[in-house]
Amino acid sequence: MVKSFSISKYVAYTFLVLMCVIWVIPVIFGISTSFRSQTEVVSTGFRLIPETWVIENYITILTNTSTAPIMRWLINSVFIATAHTFLVIVVISLTGYGYSRMKFKGRNLLFFTLLGISFFPGVVNLIPSYKIIDTLGWVNTSWAMIIPGLAGMGNIFLVRQFMLGVPHEFDESARVDGAGDFKIYFSIILPLMKPVLIVCGLFSFIGSWNDFLWPVIVYTDVEKMPITAGLLLLQDIYGNYRMIGQLMGSAILAIIPTLLLFSFAQKYFIQSINLNSGIKG
Amino acid sequence: MKKAILPYFFVGPHLILFIVFILLPTIYGIYASFTQWNLMNEPNWVGLNNYKTILFNTESTFHVQFWNGLKNTLLFVLFSVPLLIVIPLLAAVALHHKRVKGKGVMQAILYVPGLISISAAALIWLLIFNKQLGITGNIFNSAVAWATTQPYAWIIIIVITVWGGLGGNLIIYRASLAGVAQDLYEAADIDGAGPFRKFFSITLPSINFPLIYTFVMTTAGAFNVFGQPLMMTDGGPQQSTHVLMMYIRSLAFGHGESIAGMASAMAVLLGVVILIISALQYYVMSRNAR
Repeated sequence: MVKSFSISKYVAYTFLVLMCVIWVIPVIFGISTSFRSQTEVVSTGFRLIPETWVIENYITILTNTSTAPIMRWLINSVFIATAHTFLVIVVISLTGYGYSRMKFKGRNLLFFTLLGISFFPGVVNLIPSYKIIDTLGWVNTSWAMIIPGLAGMGNIFLVRQFMLGVPHEFDESARVDGAGDFKIYFSIILPLMKPVLIVCGLFSFIGSWNDFLWPVIVYTDVEKMPITAGLLLLQDIYGNYRMIGQLMGSAILAIIPTLLLFSFAQKYFIQSINLNSGIKG
Repeated sequence: MKKAILPYFFVGPHLILFIVFILLPTIYGIYASFTQWNLMNEPNWVGLNNYKTILFNTESTFHVQFWNGLKNTLLFVLFSVPLLIVIPLLAAVALHHKRVKGKGVMQAILYVPGLISISAAALIWLLIFNKQLGITGNIFNSAVAWATTQPYAWIIIIVITVWGGLGGNLIIYRASLAGVAQDLYEAADIDGAGPFRKFFSITLPSINFPLIYTFVMTTAGAFNVFGQPLMMTDGGPQQSTHVLMMYIRSLAFGHGESIAGMASAMAVLLGVVILIISALQYYVMSRNAR
């Protein structure tokens, strides 16, 4: 038995190490290529470490302010993702409080009706959503990416589930002391919600940063678009792999913010699953 | 009086957002599918014409596009979903092994590609598969232009999908495996059950619900595929990786006048397919689970 245990250990290790190598190589390859000159890439072909490290690719892309204004795109993305995340936290905490702590007629019926409707495949509302954004005058503005995502039910479901597991003692005693709902929400419930709000906030930021289909549809103005939509234009601008270092550098710059966020908040990403014990089974 | 309106300060703002950005567009999307519409003017009611054209009129390009798009979307689902279940499950089982060290680092490495946008990931992967400059060409001496030759075009789309999509299901399976009762394994050890026997008789049945959940969600997600084929192959070669979402987007938002009514009908049909498949999966899997 001990023997089979150690064989299985080597099988597990081999499988995992092989996977990790495959999974990490594209990232290393992208980073190292962004520091290689075009002549080196073309003459020596594939290398994981540059022969000579050059910084020119980054200088070229960061100083391009007309055809591929990557700094502009990054700033747009930071603004969009940050504003969206902040508003998500405001909306889901308020709404989650309403659906878990306040008593009003038809509360659960309303909640589950909205939840049911939200399961309807999103592809159906894509085209009219554009029409609504257009009517509001939001095409080619950041609002197009900040606001519509706030309507989703997923995060509110998670907050409500989380609140159902928090004892009512805290808010009840405050209510006895004469505190109103806004006071209870702000000074008692909001701090209690912190774990679930952090997780929802992180996923909202990543989701907003990486969204692709919607920005490709609502942005035509190169100055206004976020980085994901911008990268789609690069293959034309930097040639079909005629300026490889620039292409790789642009991709790496687009990745850095989410990787930084992950490295600081890794435990929340991994633990996120514990918030939805229903899935775990 | 004050008590009666107070709750709407809390749920009201979201309710308005929900109506404006989910309920209205969904209803309007269904309505638009029965109209001729260019996104600008008032839609013109045409009854079932769009559906008739898409489903039955073999002369029409919309018919050809829809069936080609649906076929390619189904192929993507068939190729990607099993891999997006099995590979994360195997990785989770391997990471669950008691004597394996460095779990945190390995999990992080496998998770990170999920945080990378499809457009950034595709730029890197296209270089990897580049005939002259990439890994496939230089190390494996492959002279194939991957993005423009089948079946390689599908392979690179699936590779980038599995690479980016593994992390989410991985952490679900890891959390589920941690919750499986240890005494079941101990009892199996006493009975002399081997690792495969334990995996199929204890592990899989114990994580039955997360398996159903990830299967249904991964499938529904895969039907919405758009970014990977757009970036990796642009639908080629000869439209053989052109998925339905790409047709819907180019009909409604492409160059020239918008054909949003026809695109809406295609979107509704795709939505119906997703709903039916999800319901079927849930029904079959939860029945077999008992």
